[in-house]
Amino acid sequence: MFEFLIHVSTMACLFGLLALSLNLQVGFAGLVNFGHIALFGCGTYGAAIAFANQWGPVAGLLLGGAAAALLALAFARLGRNLGADYWGIATLSIAEILRTFATNEQWLTGGAQGIHGLPMLFGSLPAPWGPLATLGLCAVLLAVCWALCQRLVNGRYGLALKLLREEPQLASSLGYDLAALRRTPLVISGLIAAVAGFLFAHYTTFVGPDQLYSAETFLIWSMLIVGGLGNNLGAVAGAFLMQFLLAYVPFVKDALGLPSEFVAAMRLTLVGGGLLAFLLWRTQGLIPERIGGRHA
Amino acid sequence: MISSIKKISFTLAMTLLCGTYVSSAQAEPVSIGAVIPLSGASATIGADQLRGIEIATEEVNAKGGVLGQPLKVIVEDSGGRPPSALDAARKLVTVNNVPLVIGEYSSGNTLPIGQYLVQQKRIHLNPASTSGLLRDLGEGHFSLVGLDHVTTKFAADDIMAQGWRKAVIIAPNNAFGQGVIEQFTKHFKAAGGQVLASIAYPEGQTTYRRELQQLAQAKPDVFVYSAYSREGAVINREASELGLNETPWYGYLLSMSTADSDPKTKQGQYGLEVNYIGPNGGAYQDAYKKKYGEDFRTTWNGYTYDAVKIAAAAINKAGSTDPAAIGAALKELGKGYEGATGQITFDANRMRDSQPYLKMKVDNGKLVLR
Repeated sequence: MFEFLIHVSTMACLFGLLALSLNLQVGFAGLVNFGHIALFGCGTYGAAIAFANQWGPVAGLLLGGAAAALLALAFARLGRNLGADYWGIATLSIAEILRTFATNEQWLTGGAQGIHGLPMLFGSLPAPWGPLATLGLCAVLLAVCWALCQRLVNGRYGLALKLLREEPQLASSLGYDLAALRRTPLVISGLIAAVAGFLFAHYTTFVGPDQLYSAETFLIWSMLIVGGLGNNLGAVAGAFLMQFLLAYVPFVKDALGLPSEFVAAMRLTLVGGGLLAFLLWRTQGLIPERIGGRHA
Repeated sequence: MISSIKKISFTLAMTLLCGTYVSSAQAEPVSIGAVIPLSGASATIGADQLRGIEIATEEVNAKGGVLGQPLKVIVEDSGGRPPSALDAARKLVTVNNVPLVIGEYSSGNTLPIGQYLVQQKRIHLNPASTSGLLRDLGEGHFSLVGLDHVTTKFAADDIMAQGWRKAVIIAPNNAFGQGVIEQFTKHFKAAGGQVLASIAYPEGQTTYRRELQQLAQAKPDVFVYSAYSREGAVINREASELGLNETPWYGYLLSMSTADSDPKTKQGQYGLEVNYIGPNGGAYQDAYKKKYGEDFRTTWNGYTYDAVKIAAAAINKAGSTDPAAIGAALKELGKGYEGATGQITFDANRMRDSQPYLKMKVDNGKLVLR
């Protein structure tokens, strides 16, 4: 049970990173990104391609980060002339194009079969210590990224981001460079997502295009909506709650002697129904955004 | 809101505690695990895999179970996504402490859980994935399904024997399809044939006219194809509309490829099929029909059935639930085990090295031996 708890916590930390990075875009800057999973994919494929070519994990991290930063810049460039909703659709299609690319370019990505056998981080440590060290690393990174996001969104810069979200024209008239205001949070959140992807790839030891379905983006979205858009603590809380609920549904099945189909149905109900419930009755999420924060 | 969440989690915790208490009071069954996609894109196949598991478990328990105890297969949903599949495998190992896990369907999920299980020194039985990468997983991994190099070689030889020398191939653009195209091309060339063109088609399209026309331009002796039933129906319909069915068609896993097709559009197709009609296969087919009131829904239930049966046999043979002992027993059994999917033999890498296939053709909407 203890080991399983470590595993679920590790996954929760990774999804916490993804939720934080999406929150920076959607929650604060109002950038409705439906292709977030592609930034994560840059991280996983960076790790996998570096592994396949024996460049070592550090190169993998750098490669993933560089790819994610470039993709984020492309997203930002794309956003210049598009309304928020159209931009969202464009990001979704870019993510799908990249997934199709990963499925087909076998020489680079291993195609649909993916790349497997990546080394586990701390794989050489004995039983409880390896997973514990991985969890420790993920938790520290989550804390660092959380602090970074907090610093970004509190204070003048955060206010500018929120102004971009609420009244882009007003922001423009006040002399803010909207393009730059979009670019920076996108690149930072892209880097965070790439770090999550890199850790995920080395944790599951397998990278393939099936990990990049748009359904994963929407799972992160539901974590945000449940936790609270525009609140970093809310984003992390939403990710932990969802991850733990999804992972512990099978235990309810075991305890009550229910058939296995129950787990499948219950997971769908939890994500879909939970999302609907929050959208209907608690739109601000578990931990709502603080309007007029400390520095306002 | 917060307080109601507290209430719910308290109730959940209590149910968990009570549940554990109740189950420990009963006779301890011998448990093994299974991870299959009961939700997500492959949910239909997962549901069919579950049927195979159910029939096998009933049969094992009707004959006295394993080690004098009832056999229990703890089935977990993979959701068709790697993170959930890994959650499921880790739960089975660290919480239920099962010595053996059967799973999954898609190679993208089978590979990571296989790697994890091997690392944990448990036994992993692969009942569906055909990716050649499984070969490298290491001690503890057993594949019950012939990897694609076995099946494609059979197909290549069969097609050469018909006198067709120039082939084109179309298969789904996923791990299965890409493996089939790559391996078939290799074996067909080695046998002296030519693959003029190959296309991996995206699943779920409403039309494959463009792909078919592109293949037709190569003027092949034979169209080789493999498709899931829904796409197979579209491909066969459009091929006959384009008049391409005047050229021979060869279905790789013919029953899967033609299940939903209009009889007129698939008339006369050749193909290969996994042999269910072995000495034990017939009885299994009857049991499936009797329990679920229909023919096999997919080709994958037989493998999970065999997986549970061979696992039970191995535990009995080993006389314990120690994974290493079960592994040794599996290797012994794998010298010639009569399963529902034919005789199972493992090579040095614990991969099923041969599989009896049937040479079939479609006649009046039905699959017949040729």
